[in-house]
Amino acid sequence: MAHPPRHSAMLSLSNSGSSANSDKQQPPQQIQHIANTGLRVPSNRKTIYDRHLNRSRNAEISRSSFAFLFGEMVTYAQRRVTGIQDLEKRLNEQGYPMGLRLLDLLYYRTITSSTSSSLASSSTSTAPPNRPLRILPLLHLIHGPLWRLLFNRPADALEHSVSPDTPNEYMITDNDPLVNAYVSVPKEMHMLNCAAFVAGIIEGVCDGCGFEAKVTAHNQPTELWPGRTIFLVRFGESVMEREKVLERAGIK
Amino acid sequence: MTVFSLIIINKAGGLVYQREFQPGLRKLSTNDYLVLAGTFHGVHAITRSITPKLPLSTASTAATTPTSSNMPPTPGIPNSFTPGSAFTFPNPGTPATGLECLETDKFRLTCFQTLTGTKFLLFTDPIMGNIDVVMKKVYELYADYVMKNPFYQLEMPVRCEAFDRHLGGWLRGRT
Amino acid sequence: MSYYFTILSPTDVPLFNIAFGTSKSGGDGIARFRFPDTAQYMNQFIIHSSLDIVEEAQWMNGNMYLKHIDTYPPAAAYITAFLAPSGARFLLLHQPPQLPSTTAPGNGSSSLLGSSFSSSALSGGSSSRASSSSIGANPTSPQTEEAVRQFMNEVYENYVKTMMSPFYRQGLEIKSPVFRSRVTAAGRKWL
Repeated sequence: MAHPPRHSAMLSLSNSGSSANSDKQQPPQQIQHIANTGLRVPSNRKTIYDRHLNRSRNAEISRSSFAFLFGEMVTYAQRRVTGIQDLEKRLNEQGYPMGLRLLDLLYYRTITSSTSSSLASSSTSTAPPNRPLRILPLLHLIHGPLWRLLFNRPADALEHSVSPDTPNEYMITDNDPLVNAYVSVPKEMHMLNCAAFVAGIIEGVCDGCGFEAKVTAHNQPTELWPGRTIFLVRFGESVMEREKVLERAGIK
Repeated sequence: MTVFSLIIINKAGGLVYQREFQPGLRKLSTNDYLVLAGTFHGVHAITRSITPKLPLSTASTAATTPTSSNMPPTPGIPNSFTPGSAFTFPNPGTPATGLECLETDKFRLTCFQTLTGTKFLLFTDPIMGNIDVVMKKVYELYADYVMKNPFYQLEMPVRCEAFDRHLGGWLRGRT
Repeated sequence: MSYYFTILSPTDVPLFNIAFGTSKSGGDGIARFRFPDTAQYMNQFIIHSSLDIVEEAQWMNGNMYLKHIDTYPPAAAYITAFLAPSGARFLLLHQPPQLPSTTAPGNGSSSLLGSSFSSSALSGGSSSRASSSSIGANPTSPQTEEAVRQFMNEVYENYVKTMMSPFYRQGLEIKSPVFRSRVTAAGRKWL
């Protein structure tokens, strides 16, 4: 059983480094009120704008706390749902805003970190990374840098639909999605895949880059990987049309 | 190295999990397993309450202020804080937990109770050692794949495919 | 130099805007546009009219910083664009101070708007002397583009921090006074 080490790298979104610790030492009564704005700013001036976005080396959260948090998110999404599709839609919606945020964060970190070659789309130049203009660079961005940011490893496969009827379909495979590590779906809901949350993140990234898409998560278990999940990315017609125009214009 | 079966009993004495890993014990009907779980739960509670308390001598007895001694000592609370009756358990420092081990010619039953009152019962070969390692792993897998599963309802029967899979895989890897 | 900076959401909703003047070469950081005070909407009008060009350039060039993309000659307004990967557009309008020598032949001929602006240019005359030799006076020079790039990167950093706030959703107006002061500081530092 290839098993990732416990407490390995996780979604390191916020980085509560030393600055967060110094926050806590401030007594709460030192929060002052700024007139006219109605916004409260701590008097030690440690707002989110004073935090570093790049301090991610040790800002990892434990697998357990993420598992419990995600478990509660699924439980929350399950309230008053009408069916499995509805539940997956809600999980997707929870992930979507994260995708938009991660996209900006990913680029910011790539610009500022010294090893700026981590974005696959701009492997040749060390200058600021390019925004993806075509589908393939976008998918490589998701498959590589985004997956590394989220799960500390790239995704396991990236495929294009072989059917000529669906040239707009691409598949990203994860053999053992982290979000599903501790999730056992009951038999009566066997169609459900909680990685719909990750699908929502992918959808947010695609939409943020200007590629309208619908992303869904599907179970594809194998003998070796019982939790194997395929993320099906379906791009919209406008994206496919633009893709043709850009191809003719010779833009990569 | 034979683990015959595992039973998990919730804190109310209900059977929530029963699985046979290797043959060797007689099979019971589902109803009998439920009875077994309930009976064991009762026996366990009795064994805990009949555990004798050994009176403490001299110094610490003198230190505690003698108050009304007809107050019954609460089981499970560390001894020396109970007023008027300073005592210690046979195993100093740990409060009485109840039945831990039951041995016959053919099998050994080991019981482990978690802080929340869930009991794990392992039926193993009597000659097998290191049962605590197995028990610890079972507990860990339970904490991971049952308690972190958003679809598991507390105190209800355990139907977690990932728990079954990892438990089976780990035990198979040991033999 | 007077600047008008705005952030637009992917659906063209204005999220943030600020007007400021140059702080280089003795500038006092106060915006003095060529429009009368009653016509401040002209800045917004000019910036939004360049969106078509941004949307075209966006797919021709994968850079985040698109440099100078549009000019509106009647007001001598230069537009510089920066694209955040998630679709927000950062647009900076810069208007060099009107130099006395260029007033008569350069403007006034092309449109009605131009002639009406030239009268108000005198109000900005005091700062024009100070900054006419600075990098900002020539909006298309490489030095200016570099300075704007630095400015945009700094704003981008703060924008990402805004995005990271759990209380912020994409498409919401950025109201934080801290963000505003950070943008002002970036303007003072680079422009």
